[in-house]
Amino acid sequence: MSRTFVRPVLVAALLALLLICGRFAVAGAASLEDALTGALVPSAAPSLLGPITSAGRVGWECKPERSAGSAGWHEAELPRGPFAP
Amino acid sequence: MRLLLAVTIIWGLVAARAGAQTYSPQRPLPSTTSVPALRALATQREIEERFKIGIDAESRGDWISAVAEFKRILELNPPEPKGSTARYDLAIAYANLARYDDAARELRVAIALDPDFLAAMANLVSVDLSRGDLGEARRIADRYIATDPDSARALYSRGIVALQAGDAVTAREDFGKLLRNNPSYAVAHYDLALAEERLGRYDSAERELRAALSLAPAYARARFALGVVLLREGAHDAARVEFQRATVEAAGDPALQNIAASARDSIPVPERRL
Repeated sequence: MSRTFVRPVLVAALLALLLICGRFAVAGAASLEDALTGALVPSAAPSLLGPITSAGRVGWECKPERSAGSAGWHEAELPRGPFAP
Repeated sequence: MRLLLAVTIIWGLVAARAGAQTYSPQRPLPSTTSVPALRALATQREIEERFKIGIDAESRGDWISAVAEFKRILELNPPEPKGSTARYDLAIAYANLARYDDAARELRVAIALDPDFLAAMANLVSVDLSRGDLGEARRIADRYIATDPDSARALYSRGIVALQAGDAVTAREDFGKLLRNNPSYAVAHYDLALAEERLGRYDSAERELRAALSLAPAYARARFALGVVLLREGAHDAARVEFQRATVEAAGDPALQNIAASARDSIPVPERRL
């Protein structure tokens, strides 16, 4: 095999290898980026408010209705967070 | 003597029967001989008693018995507010049996009967999130906020729905407003940070995550999110430190721990100067 034939083949092979490595690197970076974005998930939905007696929702004694209208997160029975003991 | 014995036995039987009765005595006693009026009183009494039995069943987690009680109440066509309340209570039992479509149906009727029923709106948003019906969840959350603009639960619920639906602008508004009344609520700082991050406002996202972590230092998900935001800001070394801390703090969340470790390992360690 002549040297003039080997050189272009070697260069082409190296270029192909470079391209493949580059593609894998880009794909790897993209998949990590996707994984990071996918892991940024919103907090949990609020749990259900409790039952109400036959008296109905009107009145100070109706705790679920008070929770539903409260401006404070504690009384609203919102999620305490995954860090809570 | 025989007569005395017979009277004693009859009295004993009557007393034993009364003792087995689980209903509490009604006061004042009904004073009518009208058959329709007595029937209406009996129905009213049955509704009251079934409410008590159904709520007792729910408090001990016996959801199947609770469904039976509240369905029977609805068969008796109770007047308002008992009708909407029975549907609300029935929906709780259905949701706990993972019958989310049935729960949503009952809550929709409860809101139709009582248009300002905040607790029913709150629960319908949560049920819709469980069903994956973001469209109805958003409509009900909009209505909930329109009915009570300062309700923490309304703001939180719509914020979560908006984040899940990709509406970062609404989520940013809702969590921002929630935090004005509740600046020490770490979870809302975290969710506001997610909205800011999605809007490309990384400095604001970083500030909210640092606020969440100052309130709850072991908040692994916020720690991880801070790492992501720092990475986006180009602060690779700082991001690596946060991912490392997140892998330690996320001990109870293996999925988060794995992704935090992968993110940490993807960032090259700076070379040490000798």
